[in-house]
Amino acid sequence: MYMVLVRTRVLPGDLLHDSYTGIAPPNTYKLGNKLFSLKVGLVEIDGKDVKLIPLAGPYIPRVNDFVIGKIIDFDAFSWDVDINSIYTAHLPAQDVFGREFSSQTHSLTSQFKVGDMLAAKIIAFDRTKDPVLTVREHGLGKIVHGEPIKLSPSKIPRLIGKKGSMAKIIETKTKTKLIIGQNGIIVVQGPSEGIVLAARAIHLIEEKAHMPSLTNMINELLTKEV
Amino acid sequence: MIDENGIRLDGRRWDELRPIRIEVGVIKNADGSAYIEFGKNKIIAAVYGPREAHPKHIALPDRAIVRCRYHMAPFSTEERKPPQPTRREIEISLVLRRAMESAIFLEEYPRSIIDVYVEVLQSDGGSRCASITAVSAALADSGISMRDLIVGCAVGKIDGQIVLDLSDYEDKEGEGDMPVAYMPNLDKIVLLQFDGIFTEEEFKKAIDLAILGNKRVYEILKKALIEKYFGTVEEK
Amino acid sequence: MSIKKSPIIENLRKMQMIELLSKERRLDGRSLTDFRPINIKVGVIQKSNGSAEVSVGNTKAVAGVKIETGTPFPDTPDQGLLVVNAEFLPFSSALIEPGPPDEDAIEVSRVVDRGIRESQMIDLKSLVIEPGKLVYCVFVDISILNMDGNIFDAAFLAAVSALLTTTFDKKIAKEDGSFEVQKCRLPTRCIPISITSITIGDAILVDPTEEEESVQDSRLTLTFNDQGFLCAGQKGGSTGISKEQLFKIVEISKAKAEELRSLVKKVIENA
Repeated sequence: MYMVLVRTRVLPGDLLHDSYTGIAPPNTYKLGNKLFSLKVGLVEIDGKDVKLIPLAGPYIPRVNDFVIGKIIDFDAFSWDVDINSIYTAHLPAQDVFGREFSSQTHSLTSQFKVGDMLAAKIIAFDRTKDPVLTVREHGLGKIVHGEPIKLSPSKIPRLIGKKGSMAKIIETKTKTKLIIGQNGIIVVQGPSEGIVLAARAIHLIEEKAHMPSLTNMINELLTKEV
Repeated sequence: MIDENGIRLDGRRWDELRPIRIEVGVIKNADGSAYIEFGKNKIIAAVYGPREAHPKHIALPDRAIVRCRYHMAPFSTEERKPPQPTRREIEISLVLRRAMESAIFLEEYPRSIIDVYVEVLQSDGGSRCASITAVSAALADSGISMRDLIVGCAVGKIDGQIVLDLSDYEDKEGEGDMPVAYMPNLDKIVLLQFDGIFTEEEFKKAIDLAILGNKRVYEILKKALIEKYFGTVEEK
Repeated sequence: MSIKKSPIIENLRKMQMIELLSKERRLDGRSLTDFRPINIKVGVIQKSNGSAEVSVGNTKAVAGVKIETGTPFPDTPDQGLLVVNAEFLPFSSALIEPGPPDEDAIEVSRVVDRGIRESQMIDLKSLVIEPGKLVYCVFVDISILNMDGNIFDAAFLAAVSALLTTTFDKKIAKEDGSFEVQKCRLPTRCIPISITSITIGDAILVDPTEEEESVQDSRLTLTFNDQGFLCAGQKGGSTGISKEQLFKIVEISKAKAEELRSLVKKVIENA
């Protein structure tokens, strides 16, 4: 039997397992009992299961994901929100104005204008329809200050780190607050020198996400600069 | 075109490739991109998407559609080529698109469109094979799910002999040209065109040689992707 | 080949940009009159007569020159031809849709063309083989590879650098009526430089990024010859500009053109 080793760097088409019996895990596919990679990524082994961590790829919406979006359009009943994904999300006006919403009495631009950024949660998505957002929860809604920065959506887990450890390091050392959307959009809030430094740390994660020593590198960058 | 020692005009033997260089991630704005030098070919491929299809009615409910535009810069050829696309460019766009449709996991991205653009900055023999190799590097760079990478290289017949990877001159003066693109892990041919006269035996030999050449291109492509994503240093 | 949609910039970025401008600073840390890093590589396309790849920050352009023979225009029988063509490649921006060149790409072609023509950079009179019948045509094709604002200056630098390194096989008539072919440099007389600035309120920003262009009031592209004389200009943007601001831009641009010219000279000397 052939099985790929942990932390193997894989490319699309690489054989991961030659007698895999389960359902193909995300980012892989099966042909007979052979399991192949669909992405550039790193292999992790979870028990006897193969897990593929991709290093690139678009953001695919999932229900309950926390995302940061940008208003790109609106009509009488909803806003179109760019969530850095394949599909444009929609925020229904009722979600913001409540049940008594009427397109006659409420003006959508009184709440969100084109170009505004918001933190939201995906409440519905199944690939046959565009994702639907809500802002009716604590911590959601318009983001009124800070700097938006992009990171490959597949690298967001590295930015967050184990139990949020990486994000914590960056926030503490740069005296900023990170609002991290799972869709690869981050808003950094705080003093402008801190924002510049946090942005550099995020760019370093973009470049070196595959390195096991990433935490040390970030620590080093931030300690040197502070 | 082949001397008594078996050496071709540019100094290669029958089974040698021209020099190849691949660089991944050359177009900042694109979701994935790659540059390839294959002999004198200099080609950029870049991918946008999967993204929302415009106009919406061209989208399919169960999978992504792929659009491909292969285009040659006016200064890419010996004589200036007017910028409007020619029939040749439109046909190459089509065969490239079919080749990549066999590798991309289209079902993963319903109702979307994947735009693939290829710009030939300098052309030489085998530009469609170099293009598909660059396209597959760009697709892998974009993180679009792919069953396998695709590599391309041509074979041909010159002075009655089957040889690997024709140069521009060998293509023009030779007896036959056969571009082949190949998925190395799945062992499948995804692009095949040829012109010229081949016996059945020559044809089989040509395909075998093309696969051999493609496996070498594959090693170069893998190296380029690993360099972009993992750096050059081996780490544990 | 292009139709370009305009970008939607986050209001957060816009606010920050405006706030920084009041302190004479920009989002990428530059001062108002700084160019982004410029990189020029010549001789990148061996099949062309002259070529250059230029990046200005993230904006990237490649220009290739082809010299062919053709018939002159009836009104200029004693002059060679100059044709400048710019294309926004569809992969240069997520906002571009493939198609025939739109007005923006054509504007770039025309502005670059005028800068080169009016500065009399190329001695077109020396490009005649037989007056009225056969002349050399100089084709300058510019492809925009990646867009991040100030397409004009990237395209212009690429075109000028390509022309300065152009060589071609010149037919020289012999006494017996036959021709001798000689490899020649394209005869050039100066190094024209274009400088593009935008205004946002009272601020003048040289070498704008796409983000900055999206909130511009006016845009101005000025071309200078070696003597520092203005030889072509184009205003863009849909807001008016005051005389004072205009003169200020001329002053700034003239100094910037000097800087860029010495950069181009250095590249050509080392080529």
